[in-house]
Amino acid sequence: MNISKHIKTLLLAATALLGVRTASAQLFPNSYINIDWQVNVPLGCDFASKTSGWGMNFEGGYFLTPNFTLGPFIAFHTNLESFPRQTIDLGGGTSLTTTQEHSVYQLPFGVSGRYNWCKKSVFQPYVGMKMGANYAEVSSYYYVIQQYDDTWGFYLSPELGATIYPDPSYRLGIHFALYYSFATNSGDVLNYSVNNLNNFGIRLGIAF
Amino acid sequence: MTVKKIHFLAILLLSIAVVSCQHDPSTDDLHEDYLVYTAYDTDTDFGGFADYFLPDSILLIGNSDKSEYWKDDEARKIVARVAENLDRAGYNRVEDKDTADIGLQLSYVKQVTYYAGYDRPYWWWYYPYYWSPGYWGDWQGWYYPYSVYYGYTAGSLLIEMLNLERESPTETRLPVVWDSFMGGLLTSSDRVNLSRLLTAVDQAFTQSPYLQRKQSR
Repeated sequence: MNISKHIKTLLLAATALLGVRTASAQLFPNSYINIDWQVNVPLGCDFASKTSGWGMNFEGGYFLTPNFTLGPFIAFHTNLESFPRQTIDLGGGTSLTTTQEHSVYQLPFGVSGRYNWCKKSVFQPYVGMKMGANYAEVSSYYYVIQQYDDTWGFYLSPELGATIYPDPSYRLGIHFALYYSFATNSGDVLNYSVNNLNNFGIRLGIAF
Repeated sequence: MTVKKIHFLAILLLSIAVVSCQHDPSTDDLHEDYLVYTAYDTDTDFGGFADYFLPDSILLIGNSDKSEYWKDDEARKIVARVAENLDRAGYNRVEDKDTADIGLQLSYVKQVTYYAGYDRPYWWWYYPYYWSPGYWGDWQGWYYPYSVYYGYTAGSLLIEMLNLERESPTETRLPVVWDSFMGGLLTSSDRVNLSRLLTAVDQAFTQSPYLQRKQSR
């Protein structure tokens, strides 16, 4: 997928940048960058409902005021579920008996806003809201086939988190967050329908 | 946690991200199971058919330059299992195809290399030694009265049911009124898993309950 390639290119650039800037923690003044691993729990989705850790979140923000930040984010996540052999009525006189693996791959991106407290302390909590677009690929893998539907939707995600800076003057710390997300993606694969994507999750990563 | 450790964690996270992005599921289990696809013409009254003709051999589709038929014990067991299912549905097997209402042709895709480049769901029709319409009488071609989708893999069995009752004297194309595609029939040793294949044949009829002759009173 082209989007994945672009993300990889950006990440390679970020890795190189990080390698160069190990001596100085804050890459951009008056701002933050988060790189997180995330665990995503699909809510109310019986298409691919297994919790997984196959995802990451990247975001940055600029302090518009002493407490409020605004910046871009992009994340991706894959949730899977195995389906044992079953017969599916596909309509129009066709039936299919097969074992399946279902996958929902989400790639939200947009704008992230945060309200931060205790900016000069070790523990710096915040509440945030992400808003943007969500690309989701809803797939069924069976036999040698991947049948999928590419979908787009509106994305909204409130978040509660904190950053721990061991040395607040040196802005390199640990970031963790709890989030809920809602996206309006709808798609159909075989005789399955996915309408709206609700998720709960945890992020753990670094901040600088 | 020291700053050095956080740097290490950062580089580790970025490295994971670079290699991961979209995570595809493992398909190992999928390759160890069979698939059965069936489709039929919803305008055909399968209850009105009585007699069927079923050849004793299975056409092999591969890259041979002449027609090959599968006729050994394994083939006979497969043909017998198809006949058992049709008999159970109330149909009567006849020896003379001219008196049959329906005909069944079985084809096994041994190798697809020869036609792998053709983007057609019914590519095997163009295999030079595929079942000929002329085999069934004075017919000049095939057609499906419905949409059909197939895969393109070796180790697949195709069963097609043909309506041999000509609706009008001028009709020249033979309709395929039911078809079944069974895939995933090869084991790791490239040999047909006969047990799996027979189970798949049964499944094809199980998921086609409309194949049932109406009993006259």
